[in-house]
Amino acid sequence: MLLIKLSLRNLLRQKRRNLLLGSAMAIGVAILITANAFSHGISDIMFNKVMRYVTGHVAVRFNERGGVMREIFRDRERAWAAVKGEPVIKDADESIGMFSRAIGNGKSDNIMMVGVKLKKDISAADLKELEESFRMSEGKWQDLERADAENPAIISEDKARYLNVNRNDTIRVRFRNMFGQDQAARLTVVGISRNDNIFMQSVVFVELGRAKELLGFRPWETGNITLNIKDPQKNARALADRIHERYKPGTAVIYASAAGRPVTVIGFRSDDASKEKIRGLAKLSSGTFDKAFRKDGVILPAALAGRLGVAAGGKIKLSYPRKFEAGPKDASLTVAAVCAAGCPGPDVVLLNDAGFYDYYYEDMPAAPGPGMKPYLPEGPWAGLAAPEWILLRRTYTTDDYKKKYQDISKNKWKGTTIDISTMYETASDILKLESVLNIITISAVVVLFFIILLGVVNTLRMTIRERTREIGTVRAIGMQRADVRDMFLLETFFLTLFSALAGLLLGFAVMRGLALLTFHPEDNPLGMLLVNGHLYFLPTFTGIAGSVLLIIAIAVVTAWFPARRAANFSPAQALGHFT
Amino acid sequence: MNIIEISALRKDYSLGSTVVPALRGVDLTVAEGDFMSIIGPSGSGKTTLLNVIGCIDYATAGSVKVGGREITALSDRQITDIRLNKIGFIFQTFNLIPVLDVIENIEFPLLLMKRSAAEARRRADQLIEEVGLKEHAAHRPAELSGGQRQRVAIARALVTNPDIVLADEPTANLDSVTGASILELMRRMNELEHTTFIFSTHDANVLKYARRIVKIKDGLLEKEPAAA
Repeated sequence: MLLIKLSLRNLLRQKRRNLLLGSAMAIGVAILITANAFSHGISDIMFNKVMRYVTGHVAVRFNERGGVMREIFRDRERAWAAVKGEPVIKDADESIGMFSRAIGNGKSDNIMMVGVKLKKDISAADLKELEESFRMSEGKWQDLERADAENPAIISEDKARYLNVNRNDTIRVRFRNMFGQDQAARLTVVGISRNDNIFMQSVVFVELGRAKELLGFRPWETGNITLNIKDPQKNARALADRIHERYKPGTAVIYASAAGRPVTVIGFRSDDASKEKIRGLAKLSSGTFDKAFRKDGVILPAALAGRLGVAAGGKIKLSYPRKFEAGPKDASLTVAAVCAAGCPGPDVVLLNDAGFYDYYYEDMPAAPGPGMKPYLPEGPWAGLAAPEWILLRRTYTTDDYKKKYQDISKNKWKGTTIDISTMYETASDILKLESVLNIITISAVVVLFFIILLGVVNTLRMTIRERTREIGTVRAIGMQRADVRDMFLLETFFLTLFSALAGLLLGFAVMRGLALLTFHPEDNPLGMLLVNGHLYFLPTFTGIAGSVLLIIAIAVVTAWFPARRAANFSPAQALGHFT
Repeated sequence: MNIIEISALRKDYSLGSTVVPALRGVDLTVAEGDFMSIIGPSGSGKTTLLNVIGCIDYATAGSVKVGGREITALSDRQITDIRLNKIGFIFQTFNLIPVLDVIENIEFPLLLMKRSAAEARRRADQLIEEVGLKEHAAHRPAELSGGQRQRVAIARALVTNPDIVLADEPTANLDSVTGASILELMRRMNELEHTTFIFSTHDANVLKYARRIVKIKDGLLEKEPAAA
């Protein structure tokens, strides 16, 4: 207590000097806190106001046969089973989005139609967050369910202004559905929202069911799955890894019949390496590999060909029960080759995977009937049979994530790809941007602090010089060296602490002031840094505490050396000192 | 009983490559409760002798016993403890702590000794009354006259009940009337608290207050003149 009292009173002795030094430190802290809050704000905008609504914290993305626009998985139940039973998941939503061209009153523009599910059980906190990000200036979210309007839609204020439409006006949209067909539809503007961020200003919300209908989804099919989870920074990666594990594919098999006899149909991989292997394995008795490797190529085992009485060039009729629809799927296939030896089995029909998946995805086959053993290809064919889907590897950085998608376009996979990712890897560039901004800020502040620290050292040296006789007195009276040292350290500590607190207030005032400025970025990409035209700052406890502790630690460490020097004065020498 | 025993004490100062002897073999004993003056011209070694006795400077050679304890081989921490517990200092320039008020200056050594705040304040109140500055308790040193400051310094020196009070030219910065009153006070405190007082001076008027006078010249003690 004695040392604290002495330190605090000594601080007031050189008011002007300490005020100047304190002001410099306060400005340093204010810059650090403001910059940190700004960079964190950018991350928050991207992750919590954009990515969260676009991809969720964790996303399961389906991509049928490499088609960017075909984000569909044909077995909804199976897709959703993999994300069940995870207590960290707060919300699991189906994400349906389509790029469209919207035509308003005399103007047209690109939009992103997004399907939203209006949940009856949405929590108050989630609703508040949703309303904060997408504030309705006209209409309400529930209007998306209006039965009296044709395809009710909510459009952003900016887009409504640009398209020159008002509430209850109609806009026409052109888009491509899941089957690659160009479609047109009319949307009724039932609400206009003020979206926080420039990224969200192109979004037009449509009720999920209607969006799926427009895109041609059938009831048993699903779009991408987005998961919003508790404590995403902690849980996202582990959850994505677990879900990835559950999506491991088996072999895609169609249990069919030909001329009343059961046959198993599998696809063979048609990439060059697989085709080479097949050439080495299969011994053809008729037909050619060249024909067999075409998209509609079929290789029939010799035994089955004999039983069915067909040779290469002949036709076979297959029929198989479908998983989701009544009635069998019938297919007529031309035999491209007959395999005398080296093929998977006597009843196994091999189809080029491109053709195979046409049947497999369009008319999903039923599971093997009762008493039928599921077919598992063996030996070398285990690696040559087409899987149910292609599970993309997990990636943990944006660079790796981008590389993964470059591989997709290179490989021209025939099956549906499934990708499980977190928003941290899909947008880890944003985290990098935050880190870069922080590094730039810290570098600037380090220079500033270096100047401040020179000030601390100089101030302390002057103070010690001025108070040398006083140091001699307290040492003569009986104050230990460590107490003298601590007295000066405490002075520096309090000066820095008060300056940091002042810097904190200054920082908040600066943030408040800057946040009041309104910018009109229009289509400028810098608009991503804004929320409703304003700069967005998100100070965090860690950022603030870190900044304050950093400057205190640096100042105290710097003060250590002069303080120790003061403590080491001989009392007799110090008492004999004349200023 | 002797509170101080010094034999063959030497103290040299280095000034660059030159060694300046300040004390050149001093032998001295001081009895408990004495009121002793060390006199001598400027540069004779008075302050150095007081500094060594007061444990704020080290002897170059010889033996110095304070309260029967040899101090020449002690660590800084031990020496500091001796200064705090056994010795009180009165300086020529008062050396009060400017940021503390009078009562806080007086209780300061007790707080260094980790005495409770209440106990320190009780003892400081007693001393401030004895030195006649009760009404100035809340004043800062800058608000006091030289004589008042020296009274505060005396109270501070005595607050820990030290065995020895060392006063280096305590009246040098005071006018003769105030100086006399300070010496009167020291003498009274010596009788009241039974504390050994050793003070240096080169003022002949001061000598009449001393019971014992030790004369020093060129770092050597001369034959003691008779006490007043």
